[in-house]
Amino acid sequence: MSAATTAPATARVTLQPVPDARLRFTGILRSEWIKLTTLRSTVWAYAILIALQIGMGALLVLTQPQELTAAAGADPAAAAQAAVQVSTLGILFNQLVISVLGVLVITGEYGTGQIRSSLTAVPTRLPVLWAKALLFGVTSFVVGLVSVLASYAVTWPMLQAKGVESDLADVEVWGHLVGAAGYLALIGLVAFFIGALLRHTAGGIAAAVGLLLVVPSVISFIAADWASVLADWLPGSAGQTLFFGGGVFEPWQSVLVMLGWIALFAVPAAILMRRRDA
Amino acid sequence: MIEATSLTKRYGARTAVDSVDFTVRPGQVTGFLGPNGAGKSTTMRMIVGLDRPTSGRVTVNGRPYAEHRAPLREVGALLDAKAVHTGRSARNHLRAIAATHGIPVRRVDEVIGLTGLESVARKRVGGFSLGMGQRLGIAAALLGDPATLILDEPVNGLDPEGVLWVRGFARQLAAEGRTVLLSSHLMSEMALTADHIIVLGKGRVVANAPVADILGSTGGFVRVRSPRIDEIAGRLGQPDITVTSVDATTIEVRGARAEAIGDVAAALGVPLHELTLVQGSLEDAYLSLTRDEVEYRTGALTGEPAAAVTEEVAR
Repeated sequence: MSAATTAPATARVTLQPVPDARLRFTGILRSEWIKLTTLRSTVWAYAILIALQIGMGALLVLTQPQELTAAAGADPAAAAQAAVQVSTLGILFNQLVISVLGVLVITGEYGTGQIRSSLTAVPTRLPVLWAKALLFGVTSFVVGLVSVLASYAVTWPMLQAKGVESDLADVEVWGHLVGAAGYLALIGLVAFFIGALLRHTAGGIAAAVGLLLVVPSVISFIAADWASVLADWLPGSAGQTLFFGGGVFEPWQSVLVMLGWIALFAVPAAILMRRRDA
Repeated sequence: MIEATSLTKRYGARTAVDSVDFTVRPGQVTGFLGPNGAGKSTTMRMIVGLDRPTSGRVTVNGRPYAEHRAPLREVGALLDAKAVHTGRSARNHLRAIAATHGIPVRRVDEVIGLTGLESVARKRVGGFSLGMGQRLGIAAALLGDPATLILDEPVNGLDPEGVLWVRGFARQLAAEGRTVLLSSHLMSEMALTADHIIVLGKGRVVANAPVADILGSTGGFVRVRSPRIDEIAGRLGQPDITVTSVDATTIEVRGARAEAIGDVAAALGVPLHELTLVQGSLEDAYLSLTRDEVEYRTGALTGEPAAAVTEEVAR
Protein backbone atom coordinates (compact mmCIF):
# COMPACT_ATOMS: atom_id res chain seq x y z
CA MET A 1 0.00 0.00 0.00
CA SER A 2 2.70 2.42 0.97
CA ALA A 3 4.60 1.84 -2.25
CA ALA A 4 1.54 2.72 -4.29
CA THR A 5 0.81 5.88 -2.37
CA THR A 6 4.22 7.49 -2.63
CA ALA A 7 3.84 9.57 -5.74
CA PRO A 8 6.97 11.03 -7.27
CA ALA A 9 5.42 14.49 -7.55
CA THR A 10 4.72 14.75 -3.84
CA ALA A 11 6.12 17.97 -2.49
CA ARG A 12 5.97 19.57 0.90
CA VAL A 13 2.57 21.10 1.42
CA THR A 14 3.42 23.92 3.74
CA LEU A 15 6.12 26.07 2.26
CA GLN A 16 5.17 29.48 3.53
CA PRO A 17 2.94 29.49 6.57
CA VAL A 18 0.22 32.14 6.57
CA PRO A 19 -0.36 32.55 10.30
CA ASP A 20 -1.79 36.07 10.33
CA ALA A 21 -4.37 35.41 7.66
CA ARG A 22 -7.95 36.09 8.66
CA LEU A 23 -11.19 37.26 7.17
CA ARG A 24 -11.53 41.06 7.04
CA PHE A 25 -13.91 43.34 5.17
CA THR A 26 -10.97 45.14 3.57
CA GLY A 27 -9.76 41.78 2.30
CA ILE A 28 -13.19 40.99 0.90
CA LEU A 29 -13.19 44.39 -0.81
CA ARG A 30 -9.80 43.63 -2.36
CA SER A 31 -11.07 40.23 -3.44
CA GLU A 32 -14.11 41.75 -5.11
CA TRP A 33 -11.92 44.35 -6.78
CA ILE A 34 -9.77 41.59 -8.25
CA LYS A 35 -12.91 39.81 -9.44
CA LEU A 36 -14.36 42.97 -11.00
CA THR A 37 -11.20 43.90 -12.86
CA THR A 38 -10.12 40.47 -14.08
CA LEU A 39 -13.12 39.76 -16.25
CA ARG A 40 -13.14 40.86 -19.83
CA SER A 41 -16.88 41.47 -19.74
CA THR A 42 -16.53 44.20 -17.11
CA VAL A 43 -13.71 45.94 -18.92
CA TRP A 44 -15.56 45.77 -22.22
CA ALA A 45 -18.82 47.02 -20.78
CA TYR A 46 -17.15 50.06 -19.26
CA ALA A 47 -15.21 50.76 -22.46
CA ILE A 48 -18.40 50.55 -24.50
CA LEU A 49 -20.13 52.84 -22.02
CA ILE A 50 -17.51 55.56 -22.44
CA ALA A 51 -17.46 55.22 -26.23
CA LEU A 52 -21.25 55.44 -26.44
CA GLN A 53 -21.38 58.44 -24.16
CA ILE A 54 -18.94 60.37 -26.35
CA GLY A 55 -20.35 59.09 -29.63
CA MET A 56 -23.97 59.94 -28.91
CA GLY A 57 -23.08 63.42 -27.68
CA ALA A 58 -21.10 64.11 -30.84
CA LEU A 59 -23.86 62.70 -33.00
CA LEU A 60 -26.39 64.99 -31.37
CA VAL A 61 -24.29 68.10 -31.98
CA LEU A 62 -23.56 67.17 -35.57
CA THR A 63 -27.24 66.64 -36.36
CA GLN A 64 -28.58 69.61 -34.38
CA PRO A 65 -30.26 72.17 -36.68
CA GLN A 66 -28.32 75.44 -36.80
CA GLU A 67 -31.36 77.51 -35.67
CA LEU A 68 -31.69 75.63 -32.35
CA THR A 69 -28.08 75.96 -31.41
CA ALA A 70 -28.07 79.59 -32.41
CA ALA A 71 -31.00 80.25 -30.08
CA ALA A 72 -29.14 78.59 -27.24
CA GLY A 73 -26.04 80.61 -27.96
CA ALA A 74 -27.75 83.86 -27.00
CA ASP A 75 -28.59 82.81 -23.44
CA PRO A 76 -26.02 81.38 -20.94
CA ALA A 77 -28.66 79.30 -19.17
CA ALA A 78 -29.84 77.83 -22.45
CA ALA A 79 -26.22 77.20 -23.46
CA ALA A 80 -25.60 75.30 -20.22
CA GLN A 81 -28.71 73.25 -20.76
CA ALA A 82 -27.76 72.44 -24.33
CA ALA A 83 -24.26 71.38 -23.30
CA VAL A 84 -25.62 69.13 -20.53
CA GLN A 85 -28.16 67.59 -22.86
CA VAL A 86 -25.46 66.80 -25.40
CA SER A 87 -23.03 65.37 -22.84
CA THR A 88 -25.59 63.25 -21.03
CA LEU A 89 -27.71 62.00 -23.92
CA GLY A 90 -25.75 58.75 -23.91
CA ILE A 91 -27.06 58.00 -20.41
CA LEU A 92 -30.37 56.96 -21.95
CA PHE A 93 -28.56 54.13 -23.66
CA ASN A 94 -25.90 53.56 -21.06
CA GLN A 95 -28.45 52.96 -18.34
CA LEU A 96 -29.10 49.70 -20.20
CA VAL A 97 -25.40 48.90 -20.46
CA ILE A 98 -24.91 49.48 -16.75
CA SER A 99 -28.05 47.50 -15.88
CA VAL A 100 -26.86 44.49 -17.85
CA LEU A 101 -23.44 44.76 -16.24
CA GLY A 102 -24.97 45.14 -12.78
CA VAL A 103 -26.95 41.94 -13.19
CA LEU A 104 -23.97 40.09 -14.67
CA VAL A 105 -21.61 41.07 -11.85
CA ILE A 106 -23.63 38.96 -9.44
CA THR A 107 -25.43 36.37 -11.58
CA GLY A 108 -22.18 35.52 -13.35
CA GLU A 109 -21.07 34.03 -10.03
CA TYR A 110 -24.20 31.93 -9.71
CA GLY A 111 -24.19 30.84 -13.33
CA THR A 112 -20.61 29.60 -13.27
CA GLY A 113 -20.60 28.16 -9.76
CA GLN A 114 -18.03 30.73 -8.63
CA ILE A 115 -20.42 31.71 -5.84
CA ARG A 116 -19.65 28.45 -4.04
CA SER A 117 -15.96 29.35 -3.96
CA SER A 118 -16.80 32.89 -2.87
CA LEU A 119 -19.11 31.79 -0.05
CA THR A 120 -16.74 29.08 1.14
CA ALA A 121 -14.11 31.78 1.60
CA VAL A 122 -16.65 34.13 3.21
CA PRO A 123 -19.19 31.90 4.96
CA THR A 124 -20.87 34.89 6.60
CA ARG A 125 -22.02 35.63 3.03
CA LEU A 126 -23.45 39.16 3.31
CA PRO A 127 -20.05 40.92 3.28
CA VAL A 128 -19.62 39.53 -0.24
CA LEU A 129 -22.88 41.16 -1.34
CA TRP A 130 -22.11 44.52 0.28
CA ALA A 131 -18.51 44.62 -0.94
CA LYS A 132 -19.59 43.80 -4.47
CA ALA A 133 -22.33 46.44 -4.40
CA LEU A 134 -20.02 49.09 -2.99
CA LEU A 135 -17.28 48.49 -5.54
CA PHE A 136 -19.65 48.19 -8.45
CA GLY A 137 -21.46 51.40 -7.41
CA VAL A 138 -18.28 53.41 -6.91
CA THR A 139 -16.65 52.10 -10.09
CA SER A 140 -19.77 52.83 -12.12
CA PHE A 141 -19.95 56.34 -10.71
CA VAL A 142 -16.31 57.02 -11.55
CA VAL A 143 -16.54 55.53 -15.03
CA GLY A 144 -19.83 57.36 -15.58
CA LEU A 145 -18.24 60.64 -14.51
CA VAL A 146 -15.28 60.06 -16.80
CA SER A 147 -17.64 59.30 -19.66
CA VAL A 148 -19.78 62.46 -19.30
CA LEU A 149 -16.72 64.64 -18.75
CA ALA A 150 -15.12 63.14 -21.86
CA SER A 151 -18.32 63.67 -23.77
CA TYR A 152 -18.44 67.28 -22.55
CA ALA A 153 -14.81 67.84 -23.51
CA VAL A 154 -15.26 66.38 -26.99
CA THR A 155 -18.49 68.24 -27.75
CA TRP A 156 -17.49 71.58 -26.23
CA PRO A 157 -15.44 72.78 -29.23
CA MET A 158 -18.11 71.46 -31.58
CA LEU A 159 -20.79 73.45 -29.76
CA GLN A 160 -18.56 76.48 -29.54
CA ALA A 161 -18.14 76.41 -33.30
CA LYS A 162 -21.92 76.74 -33.46
CA GLY A 163 -21.88 79.66 -31.07
CA VAL A 164 -22.92 77.76 -27.93
CA GLU A 165 -20.43 78.40 -25.16
CA SER A 166 -20.96 76.71 -21.77
CA ASP A 167 -18.85 76.86 -18.62
CA LEU A 168 -17.96 73.71 -16.67
CA ALA A 169 -17.68 75.81 -13.50
CA ASP A 170 -21.39 76.61 -13.84
CA VAL A 171 -23.29 74.52 -11.28
CA GLU A 172 -26.00 73.97 -13.89
CA VAL A 173 -23.34 72.18 -15.92
CA TRP A 174 -21.19 70.23 -13.47
CA GLY A 175 -24.12 69.52 -11.19
CA HIS A 176 -25.95 67.70 -13.93
CA LEU A 177 -22.82 65.91 -15.12
CA VAL A 178 -22.19 64.59 -11.61
CA GLY A 179 -25.90 63.79 -11.42
CA ALA A 180 -25.63 61.74 -14.59
CA ALA A 181 -22.78 59.69 -13.13
CA GLY A 182 -24.74 59.26 -9.90
CA TYR A 183 -27.78 58.11 -11.83
CA LEU A 184 -25.73 55.47 -13.66
CA ALA A 185 -24.33 54.14 -10.37
CA LEU A 186 -27.76 54.07 -8.70
CA ILE A 187 -29.60 52.46 -11.60
CA GLY A 188 -26.73 49.95 -11.87
CA LEU A 189 -27.24 49.06 -8.21
CA VAL A 190 -30.97 48.56 -8.72
CA ALA A 191 -30.07 46.03 -11.44
CA PHE A 192 -27.36 44.49 -9.27
CA PHE A 193 -29.78 43.70 -6.45
CA ILE A 194 -32.40 42.43 -8.90
CA GLY A 195 -29.69 40.04 -10.08
CA ALA A 196 -28.83 39.10 -6.49
CA LEU A 197 -32.46 38.35 -5.83
CA LEU A 198 -33.09 36.28 -8.96
CA ARG A 199 -29.61 34.67 -9.19
CA HIS A 200 -30.20 34.09 -12.87
CA THR A 201 -28.63 36.09 -15.70
CA ALA A 202 -31.40 36.02 -18.28
CA GLY A 203 -34.15 36.59 -15.73
CA GLY A 204 -32.20 39.34 -14.02
CA ILE A 205 -31.49 41.23 -17.24
CA ALA A 206 -35.11 40.89 -18.36
CA ALA A 207 -36.38 42.23 -15.03
CA ALA A 208 -33.90 45.10 -14.80
CA VAL A 209 -34.33 46.24 -18.39
CA GLY A 210 -38.07 45.69 -18.15
CA LEU A 211 -38.26 48.00 -15.16
CA LEU A 212 -36.53 50.70 -17.21
CA LEU A 213 -38.24 50.28 -20.56
CA VAL A 214 -41.37 48.17 -20.37
CA VAL A 215 -42.96 49.16 -17.08
CA PRO A 216 -43.07 52.93 -17.90
CA SER A 217 -44.75 52.39 -21.25
CA VAL A 218 -47.27 49.94 -19.81
CA ILE A 219 -48.13 52.39 -17.05
CA SER A 220 -48.52 55.22 -19.54
CA PHE A 221 -51.48 53.36 -21.03
CA ILE A 222 -53.29 53.27 -17.71
CA ALA A 223 -55.52 56.33 -17.48
CA ALA A 224 -55.71 56.45 -13.70
CA ASP A 225 -54.27 59.10 -11.40
CA TRP A 226 -52.28 56.56 -9.44
CA ALA A 227 -50.67 55.42 -12.66
CA SER A 228 -49.29 58.85 -13.45
CA VAL A 229 -48.03 59.20 -9.86
CA LEU A 230 -46.39 55.79 -10.09
CA ALA A 231 -44.84 56.77 -13.40
CA ASP A 232 -43.09 59.69 -11.70
CA TRP A 233 -41.79 57.37 -8.98
CA LEU A 234 -40.26 54.77 -11.29
CA PRO A 235 -36.45 54.71 -11.04
CA GLY A 236 -35.93 55.77 -14.65
CA SER A 237 -38.15 58.84 -14.54
CA ALA A 238 -37.30 59.87 -10.97
CA GLY A 239 -33.62 59.56 -11.81
CA GLN A 240 -33.76 61.66 -14.96
CA THR A 241 -34.10 64.77 -12.78
CA LEU A 242 -30.48 64.23 -11.81
CA PHE A 243 -29.13 65.00 -15.27
CA PHE A 244 -31.89 66.37 -17.50
CA GLY A 245 -33.47 68.41 -14.71
CA GLY A 246 -37.22 68.98 -14.54
CA GLY A 247 -39.50 66.30 -13.20
CA VAL A 248 -41.51 66.39 -10.00
CA PHE A 249 -38.62 65.84 -7.60
CA GLU A 250 -35.77 67.93 -6.28
CA PRO A 251 -32.42 66.23 -7.00
CA TRP A 252 -32.01 65.10 -3.38
CA GLN A 253 -35.51 63.65 -3.41
CA SER A 254 -34.72 61.89 -6.61
CA VAL A 255 -31.65 60.28 -5.01
CA LEU A 256 -33.83 59.15 -2.09
CA VAL A 257 -36.39 57.61 -4.43
CA MET A 258 -33.64 55.68 -6.18
CA LEU A 259 -32.15 54.54 -2.86
CA GLY A 260 -35.65 53.33 -2.02
CA TRP A 261 -35.72 51.25 -5.17
CA ILE A 262 -32.32 49.81 -4.29
CA ALA A 263 -33.54 48.92 -0.80
CA LEU A 264 -36.67 47.35 -2.23
CA PHE A 265 -34.51 44.72 -3.94
CA ALA A 266 -31.51 44.70 -1.61
CA VAL A 267 -33.39 43.77 1.54
CA PRO A 268 -35.03 40.59 0.22
CA ALA A 269 -31.86 39.74 -1.71
CA ALA A 270 -29.81 39.92 1.49
CA ILE A 271 -32.33 37.95 3.54
CA LEU A 272 -32.50 35.22 0.91
CA MET A 273 -28.74 35.14 0.48
CA ARG A 274 -28.38 34.30 4.17
CA ARG A 275 -31.00 31.60 4.00
CA ARG A 276 -30.71 29.87 0.67
CA ASP A 277 -28.41 27.00 -0.10
CA ALA A 278 -25.59 28.19 -2.35
CA MET B 1 -11.69 17.42 13.77
CA ILE B 2 -15.15 17.40 12.24
CA GLU B 3 -18.13 16.44 14.36
CA ALA B 4 -21.62 15.90 13.03
CA THR B 5 -24.57 15.46 15.37
CA SER B 6 -27.98 14.31 14.12
CA LEU B 7 -27.15 16.13 10.89
CA THR B 8 -30.14 16.13 8.57
CA LYS B 9 -30.90 17.69 5.20
CA ARG B 10 -34.18 17.44 3.39
CA TYR B 11 -34.96 18.76 -0.07
CA GLY B 12 -38.72 18.84 -0.10
CA ALA B 13 -39.89 15.31 0.51
CA ARG B 14 -36.51 13.77 -0.22
CA THR B 15 -34.18 13.23 2.71
CA ALA B 16 -30.63 13.54 1.42
CA VAL B 17 -28.92 13.21 4.78
CA ASP B 18 -30.81 11.44 7.53
CA SER B 19 -29.74 12.17 11.11
CA VAL B 20 -26.09 11.39 10.62
CA ASP B 21 -23.56 11.26 13.45
CA PHE B 22 -19.84 10.92 12.90
CA THR B 23 -16.47 12.26 13.92
CA VAL B 24 -13.57 12.79 11.55
CA ARG B 25 -10.27 12.75 13.44
CA PRO B 26 -7.00 14.47 12.66
CA GLY B 27 -3.89 12.60 11.61
CA GLN B 28 -5.60 10.12 9.35
CA VAL B 29 -7.38 9.99 6.03
CA THR B 30 -11.07 9.40 6.45
CA GLY B 31 -13.00 8.21 3.46
CA PHE B 32 -16.60 9.01 2.75
CA LEU B 33 -17.82 6.11 0.73
CA GLY B 34 -21.19 5.55 -0.77
CA PRO B 35 -23.11 5.12 -3.97
CA ASN B 36 -24.23 8.15 -5.95
CA GLY B 37 -26.97 10.01 -4.12
CA ALA B 38 -25.94 8.64 -0.73
CA GLY B 39 -25.52 12.13 0.70
CA LYS B 40 -21.73 12.47 0.62
CA SER B 41 -21.62 15.79 -1.21
CA THR B 42 -24.56 17.25 0.69
CA THR B 43 -22.88 16.39 3.98
CA MET B 44 -19.65 18.02 2.83
CA ARG B 45 -21.52 21.12 1.68
CA MET B 46 -23.14 21.41 5.09
CA ILE B 47 -19.74 21.17 6.80
CA VAL B 48 -18.61 24.39 5.09
CA GLY B 49 -21.98 26.08 5.35
CA LEU B 50 -22.97 26.06 1.68
CA ASP B 51 -26.12 24.13 2.55
CA ARG B 52 -28.07 24.77 5.72
CA PRO B 53 -28.87 21.65 7.72
CA THR B 54 -32.58 21.05 8.11
CA SER B 55 -31.73 19.98 11.65
CA GLY B 56 -28.75 18.89 13.68
CA ARG B 57 -25.35 20.49 13.49
CA VAL B 58 -21.84 20.02 12.29
CA THR B 59 -18.74 21.68 13.71
CA VAL B 60 -15.15 22.01 12.60
CA ASN B 61 -12.64 22.17 15.44
CA GLY B 62 -15.37 22.90 17.91
CA ARG B 63 -17.51 25.47 16.16
CA PRO B 64 -19.58 25.92 13.03
CA TYR B 65 -17.41 26.72 10.02
CA ALA B 66 -18.93 30.18 9.51
CA GLU B 67 -18.05 31.25 13.05
CA HIS B 68 -14.30 30.93 12.61
CA ARG B 69 -12.27 34.10 12.27
CA ALA B 70 -10.26 32.64 9.42
CA PRO B 71 -12.41 29.95 7.79
CA LEU B 72 -9.85 29.18 5.08
CA ARG B 73 -7.24 28.44 7.75
CA GLU B 74 -9.60 25.91 9.30
CA VAL B 75 -10.92 24.13 6.25
CA GLY B 76 -9.79 23.83 2.68
CA ALA B 77 -12.52 22.38 0.54
CA LEU B 78 -12.69 21.01 -2.96
CA LEU B 79 -16.38 20.42 -3.42
CA ASP B 80 -16.83 21.08 -7.07
CA ALA B 81 -14.11 21.54 -9.65
CA LYS B 82 -16.44 23.83 -11.59
CA ALA B 83 -16.96 26.36 -8.81
CA VAL B 84 -14.93 28.90 -10.74
CA HIS B 85 -15.90 31.76 -13.04
CA THR B 86 -14.96 30.50 -16.48
CA GLY B 87 -13.88 33.92 -17.71
CA ARG B 88 -11.14 34.40 -15.14
CA SER B 89 -7.62 32.99 -15.18
CA ALA B 90 -6.67 30.36 -12.63
CA ARG B 91 -4.20 32.68 -10.96
CA ASN B 92 -6.65 35.56 -10.69
CA HIS B 93 -9.26 33.19 -9.28
CA LEU B 94 -6.82 32.12 -6.58
CA ARG B 95 -5.75 35.73 -5.96
CA ALA B 96 -9.36 36.74 -5.37
CA ILE B 97 -9.93 33.93 -2.87
CA ALA B 98 -6.63 34.60 -1.12
CA ALA B 99 -7.38 38.31 -0.81
CA THR B 100 -10.42 37.70 1.41
CA HIS B 101 -8.10 36.45 4.15
CA GLY B 102 -5.13 38.66 3.37
CA ILE B 103 -3.16 35.64 2.17
CA PRO B 104 -0.13 36.94 0.24
CA VAL B 105 0.27 36.45 -3.51
CA ARG B 106 3.43 34.40 -3.00
CA ARG B 107 1.24 31.77 -1.38
CA VAL B 108 -0.93 31.81 -4.50
CA ASP B 109 2.09 31.11 -6.67
CA GLU B 110 3.15 28.44 -4.23
CA VAL B 111 -0.07 26.44 -4.46
CA ILE B 112 0.04 26.85 -8.23
CA GLY B 113 3.47 25.22 -8.17
CA LEU B 114 2.34 22.59 -5.71
CA THR B 115 -0.50 21.47 -7.95
CA GLY B 116 1.48 21.67 -11.17
CA LEU B 117 -0.59 24.44 -12.74
CA GLU B 118 2.27 26.81 -13.66
CA SER B 119 1.84 26.46 -17.42
CA VAL B 120 -1.90 27.22 -17.40
CA ALA B 121 -2.14 29.59 -14.43
CA ARG B 122 -2.68 32.61 -16.64
CA LYS B 123 -5.16 30.93 -18.96
CA ARG B 124 -8.88 31.32 -18.56
CA VAL B 125 -10.49 28.53 -16.57
CA GLY B 126 -13.20 28.02 -19.19
CA GLY B 127 -10.77 26.02 -21.30
CA PHE B 128 -9.63 23.73 -18.50
CA SER B 129 -10.07 19.97 -18.61
CA LEU B 130 -11.75 18.31 -15.67
CA GLY B 131 -8.38 17.20 -14.36
CA MET B 132 -6.99 20.74 -14.48
CA GLY B 133 -10.14 21.97 -12.77
CA GLN B 134 -9.57 19.43 -10.00
CA ARG B 135 -6.00 20.61 -9.56
CA LEU B 136 -7.20 24.22 -9.39
CA GLY B 137 -9.78 23.20 -6.79
CA ILE B 138 -7.10 21.50 -4.73
CA ALA B 139 -4.88 24.59 -5.09
CA ALA B 140 -7.72 26.75 -3.76
CA ALA B 141 -8.27 24.36 -0.87
CA LEU B 142 -4.61 24.62 0.12
CA LEU B 143 -4.44 28.44 0.03
CA GLY B 144 -5.09 28.92 3.74
CA ASP B 145 -2.75 26.10 4.80
CA PRO B 146 -5.82 24.59 6.49
CA ALA B 147 -5.90 22.17 9.40
CA THR B 148 -8.74 20.27 7.77
CA LEU B 149 -9.16 19.27 4.15
CA ILE B 150 -12.40 18.20 2.57
CA LEU B 151 -12.09 16.79 -0.91
CA ASP B 152 -15.17 15.61 -2.79
CA GLU B 153 -14.21 13.00 -5.39
CA PRO B 154 -10.73 14.48 -5.79
CA VAL B 155 -9.45 11.92 -8.28
CA ASN B 156 -12.41 12.40 -10.59
CA GLY B 157 -11.07 13.23 -14.04
CA LEU B 158 -7.41 12.92 -13.13
CA ASP B 159 -4.97 10.91 -15.19
CA PRO B 160 -3.14 8.00 -13.49
CA GLU B 161 -0.26 10.22 -12.49
CA GLY B 162 -2.68 12.71 -10.99
CA VAL B 163 -4.48 9.97 -9.10
CA LEU B 164 -1.21 8.81 -7.58
CA TRP B 165 -0.40 12.39 -6.72
CA VAL B 166 -3.69 13.01 -4.92
CA ARG B 167 -3.35 9.76 -3.02
CA GLY B 168 0.15 10.58 -1.84
CA PHE B 169 -0.94 14.09 -1.10
CA ALA B 170 -3.88 13.09 1.07
CA ARG B 171 -1.70 10.65 3.02
CA GLN B 172 0.98 13.25 3.48
CA LEU B 173 -1.47 15.88 4.71
CA ALA B 174 -2.80 13.41 7.23
CA ALA B 175 0.74 12.49 8.28
CA GLU B 176 1.30 16.18 9.02
CA GLY B 177 -1.47 15.87 11.59
CA ARG B 178 -4.25 17.38 9.51
CA THR B 179 -7.79 16.14 9.29
CA VAL B 180 -8.44 14.78 5.82
CA LEU B 181 -11.91 13.82 4.65
CA LEU B 182 -12.30 12.66 1.10
CA SER B 183 -15.19 11.08 -0.69
CA SER B 184 -15.33 8.56 -3.43
CA HIS B 185 -17.70 6.04 -4.83
CA LEU B 186 -14.66 3.94 -5.82
CA MET B 187 -13.94 1.38 -3.15
CA SER B 188 -10.55 0.49 -4.60
CA GLU B 189 -9.51 4.13 -4.30
CA MET B 190 -10.51 4.16 -0.65
CA ALA B 191 -8.65 0.93 0.10
CA LEU B 192 -5.46 2.59 -1.11
CA THR B 193 -5.89 6.00 0.46
CA ALA B 194 -8.05 5.92 3.58
CA ASP B 195 -7.30 4.76 7.10
CA HIS B 196 -10.85 5.02 8.26
CA ILE B 197 -14.05 4.72 6.31
CA ILE B 198 -17.52 6.08 6.83
CA VAL B 199 -19.93 4.33 4.50
CA LEU B 200 -23.06 6.26 3.62
CA GLY B 201 -26.13 4.78 2.04
CA LYS B 202 -29.38 6.64 1.40
CA GLY B 203 -28.30 9.42 3.72
CA ARG B 204 -27.47 7.20 6.67
CA VAL B 205 -24.18 5.97 8.12
CA VAL B 206 -24.03 2.31 7.19
CA ALA B 207 -20.58 1.64 8.59
CA ASN B 208 -17.96 3.66 10.41
CA ALA B 209 -14.75 1.74 11.03
CA PRO B 210 -11.06 1.43 10.19
CA VAL B 211 -10.39 0.13 6.69
CA ALA B 212 -8.84 -3.05 8.08
CA ASP B 213 -12.00 -3.86 10.04
CA ILE B 214 -14.22 -3.34 7.05
CA LEU B 215 -11.95 -5.54 4.97
CA GLY B 216 -11.80 -8.13 7.74
CA SER B 217 -15.56 -8.31 8.03
CA THR B 218 -15.82 -9.96 4.65
CA GLY B 219 -13.34 -12.69 5.65
CA GLY B 220 -10.52 -13.94 3.49
CA PHE B 221 -9.55 -17.46 2.58
CA VAL B 222 -6.46 -19.41 1.70
CA ARG B 223 -6.15 -20.98 -1.72
CA VAL B 224 -4.15 -24.18 -1.70
CA ARG B 225 -3.00 -26.01 -4.81
CA SER B 226 -1.17 -29.30 -4.75
CA PRO B 227 -1.05 -32.51 -6.89
CA ARG B 228 -1.95 -34.42 -3.73
CA ILE B 229 -4.60 -32.00 -2.48
CA ASP B 230 -6.84 -34.70 -1.02
CA GLU B 231 -4.23 -35.58 1.60
CA ILE B 232 -4.08 -31.98 2.79
CA ALA B 233 -7.84 -31.59 2.78
CA GLY B 234 -8.16 -34.75 4.84
CA ARG B 235 -5.98 -33.30 7.56
CA LEU B 236 -7.99 -30.05 7.77
CA GLY B 237 -11.22 -31.66 8.86
CA GLN B 238 -11.86 -29.61 11.98
CA PRO B 239 -15.25 -28.10 12.87
CA ASP B 240 -14.28 -24.41 12.48
CA ILE B 241 -12.45 -24.94 9.19
CA THR B 242 -14.36 -24.99 5.92
CA VAL B 243 -12.79 -26.59 2.90
CA THR B 244 -14.22 -25.91 -0.53
CA SER B 245 -12.99 -27.87 -3.49
CA VAL B 246 -12.38 -25.75 -6.56
CA ASP B 247 -10.93 -28.33 -8.92
CA ALA B 248 -8.91 -31.56 -8.78
CA THR B 249 -5.82 -29.89 -7.41
CA THR B 250 -7.17 -26.73 -5.69
CA ILE B 251 -9.11 -26.03 -2.52
CA GLU B 252 -10.15 -22.88 -0.66
CA VAL B 253 -9.78 -22.98 3.08
CA ARG B 254 -11.63 -20.71 5.47
CA GLY B 255 -10.86 -20.62 9.17
CA ALA B 256 -7.23 -21.71 9.00
CA ARG B 257 -4.12 -19.57 8.63
CA ALA B 258 -1.82 -20.06 5.67
CA GLU B 259 1.11 -20.89 7.98
CA ALA B 260 -0.83 -23.71 9.61
CA ILE B 261 -1.76 -25.18 6.23
CA GLY B 262 1.86 -24.97 5.08
CA ASP B 263 2.93 -26.80 8.21
CA VAL B 264 0.38 -29.52 7.57
CA ALA B 265 1.69 -29.99 4.03
CA ALA B 266 5.30 -30.13 5.27
CA ALA B 267 4.43 -32.71 7.92
CA LEU B 268 2.77 -34.84 5.23
CA GLY B 269 5.67 -34.33 2.83
CA VAL B 270 3.21 -33.14 0.17
CA PRO B 271 4.46 -30.67 -2.45
CA LEU B 272 2.64 -27.32 -2.49
CA HIS B 273 2.16 -25.51 -5.82
CA GLU B 274 0.30 -22.60 -4.37
CA LEU B 275 -0.51 -21.25 -0.94
CA THR B 276 -2.23 -17.85 -1.30
CA LEU B 277 -3.99 -15.68 1.23
CA VAL B 278 -6.92 -14.08 -0.59
CA GLN B 279 -8.23 -11.03 1.26
CA GLY B 280 -11.78 -9.95 1.00
CA SER B 281 -11.98 -6.86 -1.17
CA LEU B 282 -13.43 -3.58 -0.05
CA GLU B 283 -15.78 -3.93 -2.97
CA ASP B 284 -17.26 -7.06 -1.43
CA ALA B 285 -17.58 -5.37 1.93
CA TYR B 286 -19.05 -2.27 0.42
CA LEU B 287 -21.54 -4.07 -1.75
CA SER B 288 -22.74 -6.19 1.13
CA LEU B 289 -23.08 -3.11 3.32
CA THR B 290 -24.90 -0.99 0.81
CA ARG B 291 -26.92 -3.67 -0.93
CA ASP B 292 -30.16 -2.18 0.31
CA GLU B 293 -29.02 1.41 0.16
CA VAL B 294 -28.36 1.91 -3.52
CA GLU B 295 -30.52 4.70 -4.82
CA TYR B 296 -30.16 4.07 -8.51
CA ARG B 297 -29.84 0.44 -9.46
CA THR B 298 -28.77 -0.81 -12.84
CA GLY B 299 -31.04 -3.30 -14.54
CA ALA B 300 -29.69 -6.75 -13.82
CA LEU B 301 -29.62 -8.24 -17.30
CA THR B 302 -30.02 -5.34 -19.67
CA GLY B 303 -26.34 -4.48 -19.54
CA GLU B 304 -27.21 -0.86 -20.03
CA PRO B 305 -24.71 1.72 -18.95
CA ALA B 306 -25.08 2.55 -15.32
CA ALA B 307 -28.35 4.27 -14.54
CA ALA B 308 -26.49 5.91 -11.72
CA VAL B 309 -26.88 9.53 -12.65
CA THR B 310 -24.51 11.31 -10.34
CA GLU B 311 -26.03 13.64 -7.83
CA GLU B 312 -23.85 16.40 -9.19
CA VAL B 313 -25.41 16.10 -12.61
CA ALA B 314 -28.86 15.76 -11.20
CA ARG B 315 -28.40 19.01 -9.38
